[in-house]
Amino acid sequence: MLDPILTPSSPNDIAAAARRLREHAAVAYGTEPLKIIEILDRWGAALRGPVADAIPGVAFLRLWLRRNSLEPMLRRELGYEALLGSWREESRARLGIFPLGLVGHWPAGNIDIQPVLSMSCALLGGNACLVRVPSGLVDVTRVLATRLHEADADGVLTDRITFVAFDHDRLDLHRAMASAVDGAMVWGGAEAVAEVRALPFPHWARVAVFGPRLSVAAMDGGAWSDEANRPNWCRRLARDVWQFDQQACSSPQTLFLEHRDGCDIQPFVDALKQAFVEENQAHPRHDIHPALTSAITLARASWLLECETRRAAFPPAPDWTILVGDGSDIPTPIQGRTLTVLLVDDLLEAVSKFSGKVQTLGVAMTDCDREAELARAAARNGVDRIVKLGRMHVFGSPWDGTDLVRPMTRVIRYVPSSETTV
Amino acid sequence: MTLPTDIGERLDALLAGSTFTVEPRQHHAALLALLRDELTYAASRNVALRNYFGAWPIEFREAETIADLPYLPVGVFKANPPLSLVPRDTVTKTLASSATTGQIPSRVVLNAETSRRMTKGVLAIIRSFIGPARRPYLVVDTPESLAGDPELGARSAAIQGLRPFSSEIVCCLRKQEAGELALDEAKLFEFARRHPECEVLVYGFTHILWQQFAVPLRARGICLDMPNVRVLHSGGWKRLEAQAVTRAAFAEGVAAVFGCDESRVIDFYGMVENVGVIYPDCEYGNKHVPAFGEVIIRDPLTLAPVKVGEQGLIQICSVLPSSFPGFLVLTDDIGRVVHEDGCACGRRGTAFRFEKRAPKAEIRGCGAVDSAREGLLVAA
Repeated sequence: MLDPILTPSSPNDIAAAARRLREHAAVAYGTEPLKIIEILDRWGAALRGPVADAIPGVAFLRLWLRRNSLEPMLRRELGYEALLGSWREESRARLGIFPLGLVGHWPAGNIDIQPVLSMSCALLGGNACLVRVPSGLVDVTRVLATRLHEADADGVLTDRITFVAFDHDRLDLHRAMASAVDGAMVWGGAEAVAEVRALPFPHWARVAVFGPRLSVAAMDGGAWSDEANRPNWCRRLARDVWQFDQQACSSPQTLFLEHRDGCDIQPFVDALKQAFVEENQAHPRHDIHPALTSAITLARASWLLECETRRAAFPPAPDWTILVGDGSDIPTPIQGRTLTVLLVDDLLEAVSKFSGKVQTLGVAMTDCDREAELARAAARNGVDRIVKLGRMHVFGSPWDGTDLVRPMTRVIRYVPSSETTV
Repeated sequence: MTLPTDIGERLDALLAGSTFTVEPRQHHAALLALLRDELTYAASRNVALRNYFGAWPIEFREAETIADLPYLPVGVFKANPPLSLVPRDTVTKTLASSATTGQIPSRVVLNAETSRRMTKGVLAIIRSFIGPARRPYLVVDTPESLAGDPELGARSAAIQGLRPFSSEIVCCLRKQEAGELALDEAKLFEFARRHPECEVLVYGFTHILWQQFAVPLRARGICLDMPNVRVLHSGGWKRLEAQAVTRAAFAEGVAAVFGCDESRVIDFYGMVENVGVIYPDCEYGNKHVPAFGEVIIRDPLTLAPVKVGEQGLIQICSVLPSSFPGFLVLTDDIGRVVHEDGCACGRRGTAFRFEKRAPKAEIRGCGAVDSAREGLLVAA
């Protein structure tokens, strides 16, 4: 089998790849969404074994690609008729869901499975995909793409996918890719997103941007002071912090603890520390960028030197850091498994300061009514996901407040000419 | 409260003793004991530091190695007001680093005691490399750099730190009306004419020495015929690396202008946070740690000291600053220890090499909401 990842050297290579994809897509046009789901389901089932299992997030990808996950999502986003590839009657017109055509993907470099997650969304809309693979994810993506080729022997999907790998600085190739597509799914940090948005997309292209965002967690007094459940909550939070090395938009950077009369937060901090120690033993880092090490050591020192009432817990290594203090403002994220724990009188006060910068609010609350009130307040203040602690990274539609498949489709209105004119 | 007398006496004894011949184990033991006492003093002087030391995973009073003691990352010295261990009215000077455009400089405060020890420390080190004699001193900078301002930049501090070795001082650059530097050729050629054969000391900031001095003179094929100069330079390679000027090309170019051997061009590593300690290259290209300091190279993954030869983040240690907490500082620089002892130049103890500034991080991903973490870029 040829290398599933193309390494273009010139804009012409990108243009040629785009032409091929359009030709294949034209032939495969009209493939029923259920057929696409079936192939994706087979692909998910094929993602097993030591090589695949070693890819961070692959367990989630398997779940995501299951028919039971995709079919309800597609039905909700596009409607039942779209699943069958048929038109929906509306008054005297018919409405049909059609793909945009060729969708370009610019995934972030910090989440191993993001290129294929992004791609799967556009495929479900019936599109062809040109996927730019970040340099650090080429090997991982090659493994995943090879398994897709095995699961799709007829090339129903693989013929309409091209993965391309080129240097971040190759603006000519980015530009060629942008001008060749009808839609784009863009994921990443502020600078990366701004750079992609500035590319010369055709005027009809639809660009869906996911990120940059940050996420926070919140616990009411009843949850964090509950001695019996405390270790469980702390384990769930540690898992959320550890995944993607706290660099994902859904990674909690700050935990707000609501003040509770007569309760000391130290036992909670001790339990959190224990959970961090255990999570680190289970998932130790194998390398780190020296600049991140510097940022972590600086965060520890600055936190404690700025105010003598603040506390912190950390090991000698930069493995994890818990910074403890008061306040309702979200501090600048450090990432690298550095969680700021802030005691606040009222969680609503913290939420009232949120902006569209906050993507996910992970919650652990014993008071259901207050939780619902908090969720409403968070939603009003820009938060797009409010989920239980431990589930902050569970990818699903909607994401960043928008559907994942629908934005890369067009809704077509067809009024047959044989209709009686009124 | 001032520095306890016994600490002051031990510091002065260290400065009066041999700079580069202390047996390493003895050096380590003396330094560890002194640093523990200095940290205790610092904690008593600064409640924020006490808070930081209290959170340190190892109780510093029981630490068995210097590597276990609580260090400060170099970034904390950018705080405003600067970290201090002395009352404001006893501060005699503030040293500021040479931050490049847009960056916040590090600032450290000095009182009379620390200034005195800083001068002694630098003298002891330089003496080991160029000898104790006074000699004509050519400063490749402007006369303004000799002014004794209370807020002193790294350039001025380095220039003035070498004054005790001078019998006369000539500055061969001048500021033009628009503020840019220009070579004062008349002064330079007159200085060269008067001191053709004798030992001369030259100092310039690395990029200034190259851009304002070596490049224009070399372009005109000028050689000053001063074979006995000692050219010291410092300040980092960032700007020259951007111009693809290698260290070898730099030494060759500067030596060609003076008409001296390249071995007479000596780079030294230093920073304002590490007052009183500079690290000139020995004839084997290594940097040496004096009796009143130490260098530890830490693995970025574990922050534990690495083995000899392995690269890591450079931590500098000095017992000299008693006016600010610059005892143990983790830098953003990458280096490696070459010898724990036994460099062929004869200097005892740790010999290391500076490799580079820590590279910028490349990935932050979809959680990168702003660029607040200095230097981190995004690669989507």
